[in-house]
Amino acid sequence: MPPAVPPSADSATTTPFLQISGVSKHFGGVRALHEVDLDLRRGEVIALVGDNGAGKSTLVNVVSGVQRPDSGVLHVNGVEVRLDSPRAAAAVGIHTVYQDLSLCDNLDAVKNLFLGLEETDPWWRGRTLRRRAMERRAREVLDSMSVRLRSFTAPVGGMSGGQRQGIAICRALVSDPSLVLLDEPTAALGVSQRAEVLDLILRLKEDNRGVLVISHDLKDVQHVADRVVVLRLGSKVAEFSRGDYTSSDLVAAITGAHEGVA
Amino acid sequence: MSTQIGRTDGAPAWSRLAGIFEDRLSNIPVLMVLGAIWLFFYTRNEAFLSSQNITNLILQIATTAMLALGIVFVLLVGEIDLSSAILSGVCATVVANYAVTSGWNIYLALAAGIALGMIAMVIQAVIVVFGVPSLIVTLGGMVVFQGLLLVVLPPEFTVSVGGTDYAEIASADVPTTVAYLVAGVVWVGYTISRWIHARGSSNDRIWAGVLSLVIGVAVFGGVTVLSRADGLPLPVVILGAMLIVAAYVTTRTRYGIHLYAVGGDRDAARRAGIPVSRMIIYSFAILGFCAAIAGVVDAARLLSVSNSSGGGPLMLNAIAAAVVGGTSLFGGRGSVWSALLGALVIGSISNGVQLLGYSPEVQNFATGGVLVVAVAMDVVITRGSLWPRRA
Repeated sequence: MPPAVPPSADSATTTPFLQISGVSKHFGGVRALHEVDLDLRRGEVIALVGDNGAGKSTLVNVVSGVQRPDSGVLHVNGVEVRLDSPRAAAAVGIHTVYQDLSLCDNLDAVKNLFLGLEETDPWWRGRTLRRRAMERRAREVLDSMSVRLRSFTAPVGGMSGGQRQGIAICRALVSDPSLVLLDEPTAALGVSQRAEVLDLILRLKEDNRGVLVISHDLKDVQHVADRVVVLRLGSKVAEFSRGDYTSSDLVAAITGAHEGVA
Repeated sequence: MSTQIGRTDGAPAWSRLAGIFEDRLSNIPVLMVLGAIWLFFYTRNEAFLSSQNITNLILQIATTAMLALGIVFVLLVGEIDLSSAILSGVCATVVANYAVTSGWNIYLALAAGIALGMIAMVIQAVIVVFGVPSLIVTLGGMVVFQGLLLVVLPPEFTVSVGGTDYAEIASADVPTTVAYLVAGVVWVGYTISRWIHARGSSNDRIWAGVLSLVIGVAVFGGVTVLSRADGLPLPVVILGAMLIVAAYVTTRTRYGIHLYAVGGDRDAARRAGIPVSRMIIYSFAILGFCAAIAGVVDAARLLSVSNSSGGGPLMLNAIAAAVVGGTSLFGGRGSVWSALLGALVIGSISNGVQLLGYSPEVQNFATGGVLVVAVAMDVVITRGSLWPRRA
């Protein structure tokens, strides 16, 4: 396990990168999110925990531009934004690593990293792919995250879960985002690969990026998160800072045993 | 063919060697099958590998290969097509009507035929994008185009194109000197671009050199072998040009990566901002273009269009060619060269069987067997083991 990094000292004083205020979302009669407020700062890891159906995925979908909230506003660097597509979210520096990773198994690592963002020569040079430039950048990003691949040319379908997760995270980094959303990044991984991914999360933080991670694993959460936000039945019921809570506090908040802890 | 960095520094020699060829082996099974077939027929009759017979062989397979090339694009995005062969007959007939019966300029008539092919395919593609399986859409399309062929044919069900500009498409030759000149320009251009793009690693330099040499031998040897008395047959040049453009587009452009991405994982492609539906429509449009050209070349070689144009085994041969050549039926895997190599395998069997005077059923048995064997070899190589995985 890598050493935990302390929260940056000034994180409480700077303007949050993303401010979520009063966000609600209904699906028919089901209340998925109710008046949720949340601030996310660069250089801070926030974990989102909660039982199934607590609204974690809906909140991530709202922030990543997949779903529009029914009410509430989002501010990025103090400016109100409408995120109505993943592209709009990417444009303001928010990138999402989906639980299924969204990698093309038949393509190699470099092509996956740049998928949809390929660099090409100008039209008078035939719009040829700038493969060398992309490979150089891919190597930089992968090295910066210490993701080690045996080959850049092998299809990613044959790689380990940890390597694939690493590529998926690096894919988010190609466009230098300010906030990375991770949906259950450790769910399907073995012990050593899980450690690799937690290490990646801490690296994102060292690079002064914000991280919002959904996880079911409370041990992982305690290990990486500067703050833990607990959702229950669509509402934010608790928020804990590093060191201020025990596992049983988390479990109690998640299950609703101490209603009103927040 | 993809990006080329092998991290094999300090690895043992055999592993470095493997690194050079890593991921560049996809054409090996079909090349082995092709070599075995050629060796077999050559040992039975040396005339099989004579320059004249090879030229003949290429002319025989040109139609299948052109159609298979279009089918590769459709297979790569994970769709299938059954209608393009008969559509090629319709396009050839329309071109014959305009160029021969109505006396239009041949290029104008060709443009009309190509436009028809592309429009017919785009209509089908739009239905596919709406969610109807392409197998069904193009099966229906095949039947509709059979009807359309009867509509566009004159009452006597045939148009002879002998002695017209139309027939020239198959019988014209590009002068040998021009062919060598063009081949030289292509080869030098290729070598320079390879060298520029070769990464610092010695593996890449070696690979660039090997490829340049192989391509040089193939290009100049091809021109030498395939030239007849007056030069290089025009269908060979058309097929070569189509393959080179297709190879460039699929391996060197953003469109090419997106093509493979759509076939590999549609959801991932969509999340990456790739217009998946549009990519599928493009693939079918390219198939429509290839089908029109294939139909015209075929009709020009046979000197007529009729109600059997685009019929017979052409459709299945074209699909088989793409698959034998190593293109996956499930999308995302394969290359444009599989169209040529697969068509060569299938064409070599029929050419050899006829040359040796075997009875026609031998050809059916051999072609069917090779289809299964070639794909089985591909499966085994891809899996890395002879035995099926246990569930």
